[in-house]
Amino acid sequence: MNTIDWIILFSTLLLIVAYGTWKSRGSRNIDGYLLGNKSLPWWSVCLSIMATQASAITFLSTPGQAYDDGMRFLQFYFGLPLAMVILSITAVPIYHRLKVYTAYEYLESRFDLKTRSLAAFFFLMLRGLSVGITIYAPSLILSSMLNWNINLTTIFIGSLVMIYTVSGGTKAVSMTQKYQLTIIMAGMIIAGMTAFYKLPHDITFPEAFQIAGEMGKMNLINLSFDLSDRYNIWSGLIGGLFLFMSYFGADQSQVGRYLGGSSITQSRLGLIFNGLLKVPMQFVILYIGILVFVFYQFNQPPVFHNQSLMTRAAETEYGADLATYEKEYDLVFKRKQAEAENLVAAIREDNPGEIEAAKQSMEVIKGQEKVIREKVKTAISSAIPGANTRDTDYVFITFVMTYLPHGLIGLLLAVVFSAAMASTASELNALASTATVDIYKRSIRPVADAYHYVKASKWFTAGWALFGMAFASIANQAENLIQFVNIIGSLFYGTILGIFLAAFYVKYIKSNAIFFAAIISEVIILYCYFFTKIAFLLYNIIGCLVVVALGIIIQTIQNQGTKKAPQ
Amino acid sequence: MSEENDEKPPGFKRWSGWYWLLMIMLAVQIVIYLFITSSF
Repeated sequence: MNTIDWIILFSTLLLIVAYGTWKSRGSRNIDGYLLGNKSLPWWSVCLSIMATQASAITFLSTPGQAYDDGMRFLQFYFGLPLAMVILSITAVPIYHRLKVYTAYEYLESRFDLKTRSLAAFFFLMLRGLSVGITIYAPSLILSSMLNWNINLTTIFIGSLVMIYTVSGGTKAVSMTQKYQLTIIMAGMIIAGMTAFYKLPHDITFPEAFQIAGEMGKMNLINLSFDLSDRYNIWSGLIGGLFLFMSYFGADQSQVGRYLGGSSITQSRLGLIFNGLLKVPMQFVILYIGILVFVFYQFNQPPVFHNQSLMTRAAETEYGADLATYEKEYDLVFKRKQAEAENLVAAIREDNPGEIEAAKQSMEVIKGQEKVIREKVKTAISSAIPGANTRDTDYVFITFVMTYLPHGLIGLLLAVVFSAAMASTASELNALASTATVDIYKRSIRPVADAYHYVKASKWFTAGWALFGMAFASIANQAENLIQFVNIIGSLFYGTILGIFLAAFYVKYIKSNAIFFAAIISEVIILYCYFFTKIAFLLYNIIGCLVVVALGIIIQTIQNQGTKKAPQ
Repeated sequence: MSEENDEKPPGFKRWSGWYWLLMIMLAVQIVIYLFITSSF
């Protein structure tokens, strides 16, 4: 990092914040503050949806995931376009016609107040805790890369977001997200191009594909049906459909984005273009990770990508061991580099025998590298007890900091900060909308003038931002807390989706049946969590199906009870 | 449930072209990705 990087980083972030705050100032009614006066065109809705979903961790982790595991993660997003179509047909027109501020408000007109309040409460629980993690996760990585204090980093991100979300509400969120997403996409593409142009021997684009393919990284589609395998086309289409239906249909941080659309058509187009763009966008981000992988076949990668942790471990009594492992790794790399060059030559000669031979040698070397990396991780764990030795999240950012020219480093850091701010802003805005409209205005203070509710929303936004920052500081002290929050999402999402699916599609189920079905479903999910070993991702589907099934059963029992009553 | 929710969402027919486009694009992408997977 040099002065140019710092100037680019800070000027990008501060300009976006200042612009968003200035342009969206002065909303004096709740329509303006929480819905942006329903004035957004489709492309603005689309950018806002994409910026909300893509958190900083998406840009830090996804290239690392491709580097480590290949491109199969892409299949996870195949259910998203299907979810966009279903929601465009059902949810969008209903939300628009009922003129709701939040998704949960609809539940009162479909069921009753208690179901609305229950769903709003579940949402505040899961999103309220996760906003802390949205700030904390990138702060951890950035503070380690920039040698900043972690609490200062969380306060920096949290305060910048707080300024414009409190001041301008929804309008400020979508206005800033446009520019943030532009910076993000430009930065990522520049990083990918830099990795490509730094490849030796004038390697062409198809050759980069082929090298990655020979190393087993172009595993885009897996057609085999296997429930234990997280990424295959079926889990992507079916599991992804459920996950994205709940995320886009029942999570206010996304519903709030398309409620701001100026008409049903604009909101639908926003969702549909998100469906068109999301999979190619993930492809590009994953492919950047593949380019970094190919780059490291010809250039020495660090033995452990979280270099700040490595340096700390090297200062302990394990320093000598780590130095030995690094030397071993260097020697192994020299052999790998030679084989990678053989592979390129074989590909150019189109010699299948030579290609296979080079591939086999590289596989053997990969095994040796893995053994050394495991030894390094064990040494780091012994040197710094409790340290997180998973370094895939650091692969991309370490590459950026080491190999990108000055100026671009600042831009790429602005990408990560912008992504963190864009998703945090939507979450804060959604938490404030739900707390104000579904709890405060509905049950605590139903009668007051419009400006009173704008002020209340501002206080709620600031309150959730402070809560998020405080939670991020605690998360720093307790690694288990982060796991807990990730689990909390899975514990409540399925039930919320079940309530909404029943609301949209199972008209037979009425208010009392759905309320008790939701509570029993939540008890069952908690039982699964404490007493079984069912994978967390399945909780979404279990919770959803249990709510709908129980809703039908309870409603049937209730109907029979009412029929018998007059006799 | 209120009567309003029982109505068929407006504009469904008018919009169905977009939905088809999205589904076709998804199918085309999956075919491209299958091709990449089998070729590299």
